[in-house]
Order: sequence, then C-alpha cells, then structure tokens
Amino acid sequence: MNASGAKLLAKGRLAQSPARLVLIALRMRALLVLIALVVVFTILSPDFLTANNLSILSKHIAVYSILAIGMTFVVLTGGIDLSVGSVAGLSGIVAGYVLTHGIMIGGIARYPGVAAAIVAALTVSLVAGAVNGWLVSRAAVAPFIATLGSLYIARGAALLFSNGKTFPGLGADSPHGSRFFTMLGQSFLLRLPLPVWIALALFAIAATIAAKTPFGRHVYAVGGNERAARLSGVRVPRVKFIAYLVSALAAGIVGLLIASELESAHPATGESFELTAIAAIVLGGTSLMGGRGSVSGSLLGACVIGILADGMVMLGVSEFWQMVVKGVVIVLAVAGDQLQTRLQAKLLPFLLRSNAEA
Amino acid sequence: MRRPCVPFVAALMALPLLQSCDRGVRPPLIAIIVPSQDNPFFKAEADAAAVRARALGYRVRIDSHGDDAYLQDNLIDAAIASGAKAIVLDNAGTDASISAVRRATRAGIACFLIDRDIAATGIAKAQIIADNDQGARIVAAEFVRRMGAAGGDYAELLGKESDTNAQVRTRGFHAVLDGDKQLHRVAAQSADWSQSEAFDKTEVILQSHATIKGIIAGNDTMALGAVAAARSSGRPVAVITGFDGSPDALAAIKSAQLSATTLQPAAIISRMAVDELDRYLKTGTTGKPERQIIPCDLVTPSNVDEFVDFEKIR
Repeated sequence: MNASGAKLLAKGRLAQSPARLVLIALRMRALLVLIALVVVFTILSPDFLTANNLSILSKHIAVYSILAIGMTFVVLTGGIDLSVGSVAGLSGIVAGYVLTHGIMIGGIARYPGVAAAIVAALTVSLVAGAVNGWLVSRAAVAPFIATLGSLYIARGAALLFSNGKTFPGLGADSPHGSRFFTMLGQSFLLRLPLPVWIALALFAIAATIAAKTPFGRHVYAVGGNERAARLSGVRVPRVKFIAYLVSALAAGIVGLLIASELESAHPATGESFELTAIAAIVLGGTSLMGGRGSVSGSLLGACVIGILADGMVMLGVSEFWQMVVKGVVIVLAVAGDQLQTRLQAKLLPFLLRSNAEA
Repeated sequence: MRRPCVPFVAALMALPLLQSCDRGVRPPLIAIIVPSQDNPFFKAEADAAAVRARALGYRVRIDSHGDDAYLQDNLIDAAIASGAKAIVLDNAGTDASISAVRRATRAGIACFLIDRDIAATGIAKAQIIADNDQGARIVAAEFVRRMGAAGGDYAELLGKESDTNAQVRTRGFHAVLDGDKQLHRVAAQSADWSQSEAFDKTEVILQSHATIKGIIAGNDTMALGAVAAARSSGRPVAVITGFDGSPDALAAIKSAQLSATTLQPAAIISRMAVDELDRYLKTGTTGKPERQIIPCDLVTPSNVDEFVDFEKIR
C-alpha cells in the first residue's frame, strides 16, 4: 500500500466513527423517536406515564400494530393494501349481522353464537384478501388500483349489509348480544388488555415467518427483485397472493376487536386506517418499494403513531396542530430512510475495509 | 446495538420523578369532545362549553372525533387516563357511543351529552338536545308559507342517512309538507350534510327538473350548496331553507339568498351542560331530568338580526 492510500485510509477512519454513530442513530430512528416522545409526553403531562394510561395506550397501539404487521408482508413484496380499513369495517359488520340477525336456515333465523360470527367475519375478510391477491398476482392489476377498488367495494358492501345503520347491542345486556364477544376487545389478561396479547401473538408469528421460513425469504426476494426471484424458482404469484391474505386477515381481526370494544358494528369503521398502517410501516423503516424492512419495525412504527396520537390528545394540542405534527413525523421518517441509504452506500468501502482488517 | 438500551431504560424509569412536582395543584379537568372543530356549529358548541367551564374554574380540553366511533372511544379512554372529572360529549352515533359512555361512567367520570342523544338512559348524567322535530316543523311551515298558495315542485336534500337527526328532521318536514296538496316533492337525495355534495346533487336535480321552485335542506351547509348551485346553473329557485342557524346561513338570509333556517341553540345547550356538570360535581345531582329537550328558533329575514353564533341575543 502506498503512502497516499494509507493517508486516505486514515482520513476515512477519522470520518468513520462519527459517521458510524449517525448511521446507527438513523437505523434506530423509530426507537429514538419513540423514546423521545415518551420522555417529552411524560414531562409535559403528569398523567402520561401511569399504569392506567399505559394500559389504554397499549390497547390503541395493538389495533394499529395488527394492521401494520399484516400489511408489512404486502409492502415487502413491493405492493400496497389500501383496503384494510374497509375490510376491518366489513368484518365488524358481518360479525354484528350474524350476532344480531342470525343466519337464515330454512326460513328461520338461527343464532349460531360468537364463534360462528368470528369465523364468518374472518372468512369474509379472507375472501376480500383473496380478491386483492388474485387481482394483483394473476390479473396483474397494479396493487394501488386493485386495492383502491376493493376499498370502495368493501365499504359499499358493509353499507349495503347494514343499510347504512349501526348494528347495536352486541354486548351482554342485549337479547342477541354476547358476553364472550365483548370479552374479545374489553377483557384483561395479566392486567394487559386482551387485544395487546392478540397483537403480541400475531407479532411473534409474523416475525418468525418473515425471518425464519422459506415463505418469509420469498417475500423479501419478490420485493427485492421480482424477476430474479422468479428466475430462481420462487412462485411469485403465490407469495403475493398469500401476502394479501395475511393483510386482510389482520384487518378482519381489527374489525372484530373494534366491534367488540364499541359493542356495536358501524359500517364506517376503519376509515383512513390504511393510511395509519402505511405511516406506521414507513416509520418502521420498511421501504414502499419492497424488499427491505421488518415486522418489528412496523411494530415500533405503530407504537410511535399511537403514542403521538394519544400523547397529543392528553396534552390538549389542537387537532389542527396534531395533523401537522403527524405529517412532519412521517415525512422526516422517510427522509431519514433516504439519508440512511445514501450514507450507507458512501461508508460501505470503509466499513468493509475496517471489518477485513479487524 | 444492545448496550445503549440500558441507560435509556434507566432514564425511563426515572421519568416519573420529573413530573411528581406539579401534581395535585391543578384544577379539575373537563374533556369536551365534539365531532369536529372546522364546522361552525360544533366549534360554537365546543367554545361555549369551554368558556363557561373555564369561568367556573375548570381545566378544559377540546377533542374531536370526526364522527368516527372508534376515534371517540380512544378519546374517551384518553379522558379517563387523564383523570378527567367530567366529559361533555357530542357523540359519534346513537348506538355506537353507548359502550364508551358506559366505560367512562364506570370509571367515575360524569358524562353530559349535548346535541345528540344515545339510545340508552341511566348512563349519562344528562342528555341535552335541541328539539329537531319541532325545529323541522317550524322551518317547514315557513317553507310552505314562502312557496305561496299556488305551491309547486320542490326538492329535498337529506343529511347522512345513518344519522338520527337526519331522520328526525325529514320526518318533521314531511309532517308539515305532506299536508299541503299543492306541494310536490319531485326529487330527494342525501348529500351527507356536505356543501360540495349538495352543490353537485342540486345541479343535477335542477337539470332534470326545470319546474323546481323550492329546496328544503336538512342543514345549512347543504342549503348553501343548493344556493350556489341554483346561482351557477342560472335557474333561480324561489325558496331555499336550511337548518342549524350557522353564521354563514344567517349572512345568506341577510343577503336574501337563503329564505329561512332553524337555529339550534347550541351555545345555550353547551352552557346548560356545563352548569349542570358543575352542580353535579359539587352536590352529586344535576337537579334536572336526564333528557332535556330545548326548542329551536325560526330565523327569517325579518328577525335575522336577533341571532348570532347559534344564540338568540335579543
């Protein structure tokens, strides 16, 4: 190695350690933002860091994170699912209908109970997911358009199902309501709301699938380079199809949780949920171009969104400012993502060399 | 990557120390939850409640649920977590709000409902609502009077179909209108309470029914959309009436674009709710029945100067 090379290397080393710190900070930005938010809200609002509020907050985050975890698979394949909010609404309505109106068998309404209502709601959600998956993987409709279409179809179906009305009285004190249905969203297990446990379970399953199974690797492969994935034997259409099923299933679960919490099913439930989920995913560092990101990132992103929303409400920030702040956080998150990518590319030679020398 | 977590966790655990200093000295919190703050009606009702509550020495927070029952649920959770003493609520759905109100009540927070009721009694401490039926009848009577003895064709713009008030109002309208054999409803469309939707639908209705002489709308924003559509399509509509008594509608009545409206006493209702809330927190009772129905006022060109900001001032 000649003298100028050594000089360059030394210079690189000097530049490297602060740059490396910046890189690490950028990689962990969702976590850092999360910590910063918790600190700020705790200082500003005495009610923020209380057991009561943390329990409530975790329940809100559970809903966002279930949506985000489900949609992460779709986004990792390079797609997007705009229909999750509508599917959540439809799922709740189907459950509400089955519980309060029963199923007509031979001209007589029969009330099949909570399990059947849940199965019916999730089945309808999966059908919606299958339609999305088929449109994207087989009919080659752009994901944005396919799921935009099903956003309207599912919302319209929910309104048609209920004729625009709410299905009330899903709780224990109503004739066809059920104690078990309300338990879904309102009960506690070890002092944590049940939705939180459901979210944690789904997270564990989703993270394992994404990281440890062939399907998980195929999802990343399809999003990273679809052509290369196909040429190396990945069944691309099947992977995409399943991704949309997962997303719709998550949306269906969310619809049930909300209907259970409200003890009623409203056809407009879930409006703009898709945007919240996308924001959470992006905050968590998943690229909308596909192939890069993680399930745990989406969970972190959902935490940021949930804490931001609830914290600002507790502080009494005006709703107009709340919107501005949410927008700024999302834009900064994406800007941070771009910065990380560029910095990483720039530092790569130095990182490689120092690793080789060590 | 793992090591930095330790000081963070330690710092997090130390956080409660930072905040313990200003506990206990703060005045009790009242959460005011309304559908939106970019609508003059809900803004006026929220502001009137906030002003009265602050005057009575309470800390106030205003949130809006955007007619989303789930968001309302979260806001009520937040009010519970913040240790609010009472909630003043204009709710997001007569059925979908019951569980949230019940949860707040169980958590020891007194709920006072304004503007819209819920389909359950014995949970909220008070449900103070404007008499939509009476309001609809008086504005429909004025509509009939302005249409004249000859009557004619008219169109109706309905509010959001899932909203109880939309149903109550149209029933009130028809209790009066259907008695007049000279009046013929040739078109009826829901415009979801929205001005732009009312504009579009009225344009189409006026295209297909050239004979329309009057438009009766379920609220002021839709009536103003109809006014704009009648103007832009160059087909004068003699009688257009609204409902609510918003500042825009009052201005339109002054400039003779709008014929009449019904003013909902939103500011009075809000203040009544806060006064009853104050009495409840101090004495344990509101001293009033749970359901209280407040009559609306008819606003016409002859008395429009008596009203401002959802309130009769003279």
